[in-house]
Amino acid sequence: MLALDQSNLTLRIGSIAAISIYSAVLLLLLGILLLRFIRRNKDRRRRAVTETWRPLLAQCVVEVPDSLPPLTTRDHLVLLYLWNHCYESIRGEARTNLKELARRTGTDQFAKQLLHARLLRRRLLAVVTLGHLQERSIWNELAAMLQADNAFVSLVAAKALLHIDAKAAIPLLIPVISRRSDWSPLKVVAMFEPAGADIAADAIAKAACEANPEIGARLIRHLAATQSQHALPPLRALLQKGAPSDDVLAACLFLFGECSDPRDVTMIRAHLSHPTWFVRLQAASALGKVGVEEDEVRLIALLDDEHWWVCYRAAEALSNLPWMTAERLTHLCNALTTVEAQEHLLPFMAQSNVKTHRPAPASPPQARTA
Amino acid sequence: MESPASPKPRVLMVEDEEDTASLLTFLLERASYQVIHAKDGRQAQELADTMAPPDIVLLDVMLPFLSGLQVLTYLRAREGWGTVPIVMLTADGSEHDIKRALENGANDYMVKPFNPRELTSRLKRFVSQAA
Repeated sequence: MLALDQSNLTLRIGSIAAISIYSAVLLLLLGILLLRFIRRNKDRRRRAVTETWRPLLAQCVVEVPDSLPPLTTRDHLVLLYLWNHCYESIRGEARTNLKELARRTGTDQFAKQLLHARLLRRRLLAVVTLGHLQERSIWNELAAMLQADNAFVSLVAAKALLHIDAKAAIPLLIPVISRRSDWSPLKVVAMFEPAGADIAADAIAKAACEANPEIGARLIRHLAATQSQHALPPLRALLQKGAPSDDVLAACLFLFGECSDPRDVTMIRAHLSHPTWFVRLQAASALGKVGVEEDEVRLIALLDDEHWWVCYRAAEALSNLPWMTAERLTHLCNALTTVEAQEHLLPFMAQSNVKTHRPAPASPPQARTA
Repeated sequence: MESPASPKPRVLMVEDEEDTASLLTFLLERASYQVIHAKDGRQAQELADTMAPPDIVLLDVMLPFLSGLQVLTYLRAREGWGTVPIVMLTADGSEHDIKRALENGANDYMVKPFNPRELTSRLKRFVSQAA
């Protein structure tokens, strides 16, 4: 009797478990179907908004259309993405029309509301849009965002500030750039692009002078990307003022070489005998780019440096001097007094020999510029 | 008697970004071009195999499957395409791409973001030179 009861109980528990599992699976399937339905609806809606607004935005590049379709909040979010993409694809007076369209659709007000959205991507979208719209009323909020823990948020805010008023933004940005180790120097350089290379170079150089050696050196090395000579005066002043850290010094010498301004030759020469090997290395490389004929002797002396990399870079610098020929390099090598120094030159001699003896192409490719 | 309308100049536009393609199509059609759109490098090759050379090509550098530079080399090697003006569209600051494109036979380049008016006037100059 007891055994029969037990088997009944087991059967009941089994059927309850089976029903529970089936119900759970059914619920899960229903959940998936619901999510897919919502997703599909969202996509359909996004496509509809895109199809309506894409031609209007394109038309806007030439003239703002007279009548515009109504927008719901959800549609407006899609429009914001489209509008920003269109704005970033073009330059010139066409952007004025896009700004006009944004004002007429209330995009500025909508973006201001989004600034306080819960989702980060919406907040970022708002910052980018308001930056493009040069919305001065949110200046203080953007300035506060520069201190955000999230590096991406702070960088986007910095870029928006530069769009709104580059002149006023730079004094705000210099101390931030010099402090934030999580800002990629490449991103910093790119951030200044709308403001112009010279403004960027000057601001980043000033920030580098204020920064700790680690951040300062990283910023200076990336200044070469701006291709502007405006970075040089603050850095020259820094070197003349006193002895910066070896990292900063090496970065400055690297930049002097990249910018190749003859005014920096004296400073470069002065560091050929620096006690730190990587400073001597950068001085040798820079001298190879800026040096004059009399510097050949200085570079030859570095071929006997105690550090292998300094010798290597000095040999490379010698071979890259504008007046250096394969014959001259061979002659120079033969005149060297140590085997070690000769060995450093050998690979570069081989390279210059290859360059000298390489047959010229039958018909060099020609650019057909208009 | 009315003179027959001259046919619209044909432009092969190779651009993968839908938003940019839509913008370019609008600008080109407004400037009275007949636009033939290829969405990637492979499609551009297929079109080049089947169509008569257009009056001008507008070619993006960054494309899926085949880069703009590869498409450029392909187009230049095809018979009848040697003299078709090709204008490259490049991202800002990519001097290396620009140099390589010009060396490989591109006639000109436009940097993104571009000025719409400048784009259409450059294309017009090339098309009228070729006519």
